[in-house]
Amino acid sequence: MNELKCIISIIGEETTRAVIGLVGVMILVVVNALILTWAERKVAGHMQRRIAAKEVGPFGLIQPIADSLKLLCKELITPHHVERPLFYLAPTLIFLPVLVSFVVIPFDAYLQVKDINVGILVILAFSSLSVLSILIAGWGSNNKYSLIGSIRSVAQNIAYEIPLLLSLLPIIIIAQSFSLRDIVEAQKGLWFVVYQPFAFLIFFTASVAETNRTPFDLPEAESELVAGFHTEYSGMRFALFFLAEYTNIFIVSAIATTFFLGGYNGPILPGIIWFFIKTYFLVFVILWMRWTFPRVRFDQLLNLSWKILIPVALVNLIVTGGILKL
Amino acid sequence: MVKTIFEDIKNSIKGIEINEVSYAERGYHLAVEATKGNLLNIIGLLDKKRFYIADMCCVDYVEYLEIVYLFNNHSSLCRIKVSLKVDPERPVAPTISHIYTMAHWYEREIHEFFGVYFEGHDKLIYLFLHDGIDFYPLRKQRVSVPAEDLKLLNSFKPREEEDTFFVNLGPQHPSTHGVLRVVIKMDGEYVISADPVLGYLHRMHEKMAENRTYQQFLPNPARMDYPGALMFNLAHVAAVEKLCGIEVPERAQYIRTITCELNRVASHLLWIGAFLADLGGLTPFLYAFDDRENILDILEAVTGSRLTYCYFRFGGLYNDVDDNFVSETKKFVKRMRERLIMYDKLITKNVIFINRVKGIGTIKQDMVPKYGCSGPTIRSTGIPFDMRTHEPYAAYDKIDFEIPTGTVGDNMDRYTVRLSEMAICLDIIEKAIAKLPSGPINAEKVPKKLKPPKGDIYHAVESTRGETGVYIVSDESDKPYRMRWRVPSFSNLMTFPALAKGSLIADAIATMGSFDLVIPEIDR
Repeated sequence: MNELKCIISIIGEETTRAVIGLVGVMILVVVNALILTWAERKVAGHMQRRIAAKEVGPFGLIQPIADSLKLLCKELITPHHVERPLFYLAPTLIFLPVLVSFVVIPFDAYLQVKDINVGILVILAFSSLSVLSILIAGWGSNNKYSLIGSIRSVAQNIAYEIPLLLSLLPIIIIAQSFSLRDIVEAQKGLWFVVYQPFAFLIFFTASVAETNRTPFDLPEAESELVAGFHTEYSGMRFALFFLAEYTNIFIVSAIATTFFLGGYNGPILPGIIWFFIKTYFLVFVILWMRWTFPRVRFDQLLNLSWKILIPVALVNLIVTGGILKL
Repeated sequence: MVKTIFEDIKNSIKGIEINEVSYAERGYHLAVEATKGNLLNIIGLLDKKRFYIADMCCVDYVEYLEIVYLFNNHSSLCRIKVSLKVDPERPVAPTISHIYTMAHWYEREIHEFFGVYFEGHDKLIYLFLHDGIDFYPLRKQRVSVPAEDLKLLNSFKPREEEDTFFVNLGPQHPSTHGVLRVVIKMDGEYVISADPVLGYLHRMHEKMAENRTYQQFLPNPARMDYPGALMFNLAHVAAVEKLCGIEVPERAQYIRTITCELNRVASHLLWIGAFLADLGGLTPFLYAFDDRENILDILEAVTGSRLTYCYFRFGGLYNDVDDNFVSETKKFVKRMRERLIMYDKLITKNVIFINRVKGIGTIKQDMVPKYGCSGPTIRSTGIPFDMRTHEPYAAYDKIDFEIPTGTVGDNMDRYTVRLSEMAICLDIIEKAIAKLPSGPINAEKVPKKLKPPKGDIYHAVESTRGETGVYIVSDESDKPYRMRWRVPSFSNLMTFPALAKGSLIADAIATMGSFDLVIPEIDR
């Protein structure tokens, strides 16, 4: 123990925290991706009256590991017509903003890498970055389908950033803090979803659109654009896009939990368990939507954001502000 | 109808050869012999009377080539065969593509298989034979393709202009259900023009027919339309029976009706799954396959195969159905009725689905005769045109059933027409089973070697996608002299360029999915 304290004192408390946090986040990202690949197959299977994966391990639990091993062993194909620097950069770049978002999420009362006093701004700022890497992937692939996919993605992400932010502002007004920890602490009594049901619905819709999931999976609409922006990617590069997608699903669910469902607050069970129960419930809802709904059309998608979500979110914000002022 | 049009043609065009023929023997009412001079007048007159173009083909009689135009009317049955003889040395005929749009593609087909030139045709390039062939395959004698015509092979070169680009939808693309290729010129997300490129599954069934006896050709039709194989099987069998004058026992007729309707439900189920997959909903696909599996099991027990059936024989059936078939079918009908309610809840009332299909890809009623659309595609526009009631075959004339129609002809109507058609198929199956007579299933005295009398015949059935017709020319031998297949998907598909123009790419794909295209059927 003394030796550990010694090491910490040498490299500094902050750095230690960052290193441990980063390792923890990496483990969480990978484990979450494994769980979600398995869960998605199982949810899809049972919704389509199939059994889904069951051969590898009990209930097919080892299947995701087998899948990832396969993807690791695959040859990395680089088509000859791609813009090489951009093509290589995109899968790596898509992963960075996702990692940063984990830093500020409070998993339990004392389990948070760093409580930044503008935590929500960090998350929103970094999640906007992921669209850049999709654009790079689409442009660098030099493929018409990829390009259309990435153009769609940019339009979609810009359109849905705004309702996303607008739906979180009322919460910030109520909690009077940008720090995620303070926001969760403010929900000790009643969850904010009770005060702000509209904001929750808007946030959830917008976040499904942000993660490019059905019914808003236009950037990778497989019946129109083959595979959208990642058409040309294979092997581990393709896996990185998938890893990022699943991590994104987890993050938007975690933010929704933190902001609306009381975060780690809950009776009897420890906070971290409550946090994961709530988060994975929202993840399940997203999977459920994917296997039930068809895809919306591009103009309908944009209309939904600009004509419905943004006005409703604005009205909600003004009403909340007005009531609190009174 | 037949009398009035007979008088009309006779009075308005001088010196025309027009004969009334026996419909029971020939499958058409009037035979008009046109010349190059008066062809366009006749076609123009038929266009004015709102006749639709059923088919257009060519027959090589060695001394002359005969171009056959088959017309029919949606409101009352009146089949007219217009024939034009052209010189085999220098085969030239006037084009009718400016009157009937669909003739544009039929003429291209005739051009590449027979070497007939159509004067005034704006794009006489190859349609099916992209790999290149230096003779005209359907001519009876070897005729080489002139050198300048060989250049027409693969002459399609897309030219990109400013602000536009080309996307090759297919032949390997998730939404084309097979190997159709559509060259789409796009401006951003909008389609400027769409051009279907066919021939990736071309197997020349029509030439195969000329080299096989009638019996040997029995398994072929199932390979053209794999989801609705029994109906293609029936088209061939019924046409030959009509040509030879074979009477089919009543029990066989009823069993044909029941199995065909089962097959139709299976095909529609496959379509619903594929259509929803086009729109991004993947779950209905698996649900539909679940129900379809039941039908395949039932049909497997009687026909011996699960997909490409060859069940009907000339004068009857391969084998009789048993009690197990009857009870299983009854069980299936009961189960399927409940499932249809489930489909209604899962799909029809979904807001996203409604927004995606309503008002998209509208076919107007006046477009229909120009293309000769049929099946659910025409019924969605509100025309109750169905070969089962229009020109009854098998046991359809002994069973009462409604024809579901749409109102505007958009994708939503094509969906609802197919969904209600499934319910009606179930009714037909139930009624036919209740009426199923006992007796023999095969006609007596069907010769081992069929040698039909000299002449031609056109017979059409309603397959899943529409009017499937067979035009057979017999020369008293045991092989057909010429067998021509009129396939519904071909004319349905060709409305796509007109419908896709100016729409979003997502809508164009939804429209293409709504036609229920089966590519081997188009390519033959």
